[in-house]
Amino acid sequence: MSDNWFTSPVLEQLNSGVLVVDEQFQLVYLNTFLQRHATVQLDEVKGKSLFKVFADVPEAWLRRKFASVLELQSPSFSSWEQRQYVIKLPHMRPFTSASPFMAQNCTMLPLNDSAGRRHVCLLIEDATDAFVYQQRLQSTLQKLEYSNRIDGLTQCLNRRYWEEQLKLEVQRAQRYQQPLSLLLFDLDKFKQLNDQYGHLGGDSVLIELSARIRALLRDTDWFGRYGGEEFGIVLTNTALEGALDVAQRLCLAVSSIAVIFKEYSIQSTISVGVAQLNIMGERAHEVLIGQADVALYNAKRNGRNRVVAFSAGETEFLLKTTE
Amino acid sequence: MRRVFSEEQLDCLQELINVAMGLASNKLARFLSTFVYLQVPSIALVSSAQVSPQFDNQYSGVDSALVSQGFLGNDGLTGEAIVLYQLDNAHRIATLLGYETDSASELEMLTDISSILTTTFLNSLAEQIDNSLSYSAPRVLSSRQENVAEALLDTVCHWDLALKVDISYQLIDHSFNCDMLLLIPGEAVLTIQQILVRILEEC
Repeated sequence: MSDNWFTSPVLEQLNSGVLVVDEQFQLVYLNTFLQRHATVQLDEVKGKSLFKVFADVPEAWLRRKFASVLELQSPSFSSWEQRQYVIKLPHMRPFTSASPFMAQNCTMLPLNDSAGRRHVCLLIEDATDAFVYQQRLQSTLQKLEYSNRIDGLTQCLNRRYWEEQLKLEVQRAQRYQQPLSLLLFDLDKFKQLNDQYGHLGGDSVLIELSARIRALLRDTDWFGRYGGEEFGIVLTNTALEGALDVAQRLCLAVSSIAVIFKEYSIQSTISVGVAQLNIMGERAHEVLIGQADVALYNAKRNGRNRVVAFSAGETEFLLKTTE
Repeated sequence: MRRVFSEEQLDCLQELINVAMGLASNKLARFLSTFVYLQVPSIALVSSAQVSPQFDNQYSGVDSALVSQGFLGNDGLTGEAIVLYQLDNAHRIATLLGYETDSASELEMLTDISSILTTTFLNSLAEQIDNSLSYSAPRVLSSRQENVAEALLDTVCHWDLALKVDISYQLIDHSFNCDMLLLIPGEAVLTIQQILVRILEEC
């Protein structure tokens, strides 16, 4: 062919690997890309077994792939998404990729020489860029998922995610007939505090107290910011008595140590309403929130800085508020 | 369909596809050392809206996967082959391909078998019409998806007209089956028509 003058130099400059083996898997050809990446010379490896030269290729798998190419005389493929690489090679982003190995898209083609001898050509495309983008996408998605359920100020769960978890835990408790309790608490006189120390002062109290409270909870409890200065805690596998205990400890942890903000020492307290799940049905979690809210209201009315449990006598009032 | 193809052309196309199918299944059976059972492929001209309802019954409520592979030949012959699997079947593929179970992922095996089914059939077809094809790498479009019909609807873009060939593969010894959907878009259908005209003239 008259155009032969350029095929060879182009093949040598190609930014993809080209490798040819005969039916016995003996190397017939490697282009420059592969010779450089694998630090081998064609003269040294020509005629040697592919599996000897590249000792870590998945031999059984590759034999089977090549067999299908030879027998069916049709191409076969391998994607980095399922198998990161066929031949373990370094790539050209040693500083900017998390994996030291080249991600590869491979094509295996049937190739017959002029004498009719059957060969297989392995084309290796460097897919490291796609691999890096994919990894970045994954980590961004993870961060997004995290920020989608966390309250930015207090690092508690945000209301939407917290309510979802409450709903799930209520269903779980009903299914396995385990006790479940809910605490709703509110920072006492938060408005005054904001007025006196400014919003930054109020914020720093919210941040410090949420951290203090989080440290007192179990991994299985769900701590969320319900509204401005109102928070909720789902206590799994906990009956009313245990929940009251926890609530008392939280009250004490808040009132016993002041929050330091600039030169001020800010004394604060919380009021806590406690309710144990005691009804069935699909809206049970809403009823539970209503009950804890009634108890919280009573804690406020009774003088703040205290824990009040919901008692069944208040159901009538509750029904009025949830309707 | 008669608006595009004459009855004679249609018969000719069906015959070409049947022969390709026979050749492909023969190759496959030898390669996989198993009996491959094929139904006579059905051909239809469809719009994209008609593609997915057909799979609704068969694949509703089961875990399934879609693998797509594009092909391109001379004279503008082009299209896409989509292979549909029930994932219950997937673990049987490993033994079929002779893989050690842990050496390849399920998806890798699915793309392998898709590629084998698609390329053996299309190569046989191309041979008969003096064409030759190149292929894109097979891509997993979706997997572990409850509703394949929906996934297909999401995936198959909207065109007015396409030639659709349905092929159902059954490997009896392995109780493995899958469906191949060959879609050839509007303009390439005209290429096929010209090919049919040429073949019929030569007869």
